[in-house]
Amino acid sequence: MTKDISTKSQITWCPGCPNFLILEAVKRVINELIKEGNKQEDFCIVTDIGCNSKIYDYLNLSGVYGLHGRAVPLAEGIKIGNPKLKVLAFQGDGGAYAEGIEHLIHAIRKNTDISLIIHNNEAFSLTTGQPTPTTPFGKKIKNEEIKLEPLNPIKLALSLNAKFVARCNPYDIEDTKRIIKKSILFKGFSFVEIIQKCLIFSPEMSIFEKNFYKIEDNKRLENAWEIANQWNYSSTEQKIPIGIIYEKN
Amino acid sequence: MKYHILIGGKAGQGINKISSFISKLFSEKGYYIFNYRDYQSLIRGGHNFNIICVSEGKISSCEKKIDFLVCLDERTKEIHKEDLKKNAVILEAKEFENLKIDVNIALSIKLGKIFSFEKKDFLKIAEKEFPNKKDLISDLYDKIETKEKLPLKKLNKNIELIDGSKSVAKGSIESGLNFYLGYPMTPSTSLLNYFKEYEKENSLRVLQPESEISVINTALGISFSGNLVMVGTSGGGFDLMTEGLSFAGQSEIPLVIYLASRPGPSTGVPTYTSQGDLNLALFSGHGEFPRIVLSPGYPEQAIKKINESFFLAEKFRVPVIFLTEKNFAESLFSLEKFPKLKKIKIEREIPGEQIVKNSSYEHLSNGETTENEEQIKENNKKRIKKEKEILEEIEKMSPIEIFGKKDSKNLIFCFGSTVNVIKDILTYEKIDAKVVQIIYLKPFSKKIKEEIKKSKNIFIVEQNVTSQLSRLIKENTLYEIPEKNRILKYNGRPFFYDELKEELKKRIK
Repeated sequence: MTKDISTKSQITWCPGCPNFLILEAVKRVINELIKEGNKQEDFCIVTDIGCNSKIYDYLNLSGVYGLHGRAVPLAEGIKIGNPKLKVLAFQGDGGAYAEGIEHLIHAIRKNTDISLIIHNNEAFSLTTGQPTPTTPFGKKIKNEEIKLEPLNPIKLALSLNAKFVARCNPYDIEDTKRIIKKSILFKGFSFVEIIQKCLIFSPEMSIFEKNFYKIEDNKRLENAWEIANQWNYSSTEQKIPIGIIYEKN
Repeated sequence: MKYHILIGGKAGQGINKISSFISKLFSEKGYYIFNYRDYQSLIRGGHNFNIICVSEGKISSCEKKIDFLVCLDERTKEIHKEDLKKNAVILEAKEFENLKIDVNIALSIKLGKIFSFEKKDFLKIAEKEFPNKKDLISDLYDKIETKEKLPLKKLNKNIELIDGSKSVAKGSIESGLNFYLGYPMTPSTSLLNYFKEYEKENSLRVLQPESEISVINTALGISFSGNLVMVGTSGGGFDLMTEGLSFAGQSEIPLVIYLASRPGPSTGVPTYTSQGDLNLALFSGHGEFPRIVLSPGYPEQAIKKINESFFLAEKFRVPVIFLTEKNFAESLFSLEKFPKLKKIKIEREIPGEQIVKNSSYEHLSNGETTENEEQIKENNKKRIKKEKEILEEIEKMSPIEIFGKKDSKNLIFCFGSTVNVIKDILTYEKIDAKVVQIIYLKPFSKKIKEEIKKSKNIFIVEQNVTSQLSRLIKENTLYEIPEKNRILKYNGRPFFYDELKEELKKRIK
């Protein structure tokens, strides 16, 4: 029987937001893990600030709703303080790649056993659409063109010897579930990025969706670099690999 | 008997090491010691010195004027010639030049022989301090001749030498601390170093995350998951933590923050002392939330108060700021009895056992976010109400301490380690006054107003330029300490006994 791990909080995401799909994927992961013998109390979610982080209110799991950019150290602390907990941290691209990037870099080095799930919609949405480090080159925001090349977080993670690096398509709930579950079961720091549009502030990301293609789970580092280089976070032409880009044996 | 010994030289010559060696020689015989460290922000060279006060009676301060000048380099003599008392003895490195790095040991033996220490006294201390120099010490003891001979007593006192940082470390471990987190910054670094040293033999973990921002957020995570946690920092590092402080205020995750002050603003003067961060401790962080700010004066008190800090943080689920200064953290004090402490237990709900939700957002009682106007109002009232409850609790915990002539009409206020020098002066000099050390600075004890009512002339001694404690007293009691009664020092150095004695004598007739 499926356990209802939702809360009574009213969901305040925009209708049609991919966050609903991510929430569903996470619920399925937790339910599967509960069926496999874990307790609901064994999980702990840590969130940042931004639309993504509202997931804290919608899951009946232990957790801390943290500060912008600081979900990672908070999650590391919870895991260090109570290693029996399975800790999932949620951040947006603003929190993970702008405000809190120092923590991401060091978390990969420290390899604390937590899963970091980054909702990358290439925009600060809750604050009305300002650019983030992954906003595409050439995007127009209020008549101003973005003239910075976006950061490629997958390459950043690989350069730091990340041991679990994955990318998800939120519209494929079952695959997202599978990847997040694997990231939780992975012993060490896992980096999972979800490429999702914001219906209001980055609807142009729809165009990327046709380029999504699934890859086989990969365990070879040289292949990982090749996969990471396939999409530069701006291009509307390049193929966008989805799946486990690298998992160290 | 009371002597002042100044040991000076270049950084890297082992000045601090030899100062504690000499301090231990005396404390082993039952003498009281206060050892002041004056060092520059550099690794090798420059001019560093320690002043050791050796006394038969209790002492926790030192004078500027010295009886013995131990010079590890020539500059020391030049710099400190103004500070010599009449008949002061000067010991110089010249005659031991061939010993190179061990000149510090030779000079301490020469000094020790003046005080009639025996060879076995040296060897006993060397066991711990210089285990591989015992032969050298024995050899030098036989060779070195001294003209002067001072009688040495064996006093019946059991004295442990301890600096402020070490007392906080030991008190925390005795309280049951599980985790300490810090990013190196003088003068809080010595606490980080002590914890690192004690980590293995205790069920304690010490972490040094990538920044102070990470320190406080990681610490809040560790506390949330059911542990007793402390973080430590100084001025600029504390600034970085203040977003996290406010987060602790909203989420009600308990945390003790050790804040060791040095002169600011900004980088300021890293290795010197100041009491300029009182306002920072009181007012930092956005929004309104209850907090506890307290400041200990000396190790015995610090051990008791750090224990209370953990108790209060857990009981009221508020951030507790344990404010000290370099003068407390890095000076060596004499501790006669290590206070007995209660282990602090974690009695709140912890994840893993229950579903627990804590939030940086305004939230319902189940931890979920709210924007409801009634709820926001209620939450604010509930948080601020704690201040009253905390005050009731700390009134039972000696929020102030009084020294000197208890029935005097002349009252001196102070906080932090400034109490030591005032207490010493009132003990040994004929000055009609009492000193009230305000230990709990927030919430503010009602006893302070009562003390003001009982007094005629009120003075303040503190180490900052704007008299932050005067402002705090005025805010809480409506009494303003007249400017002429404020003795303020803000040159990075602590108050020296002889200097403050003159100031007090001038003002208190």
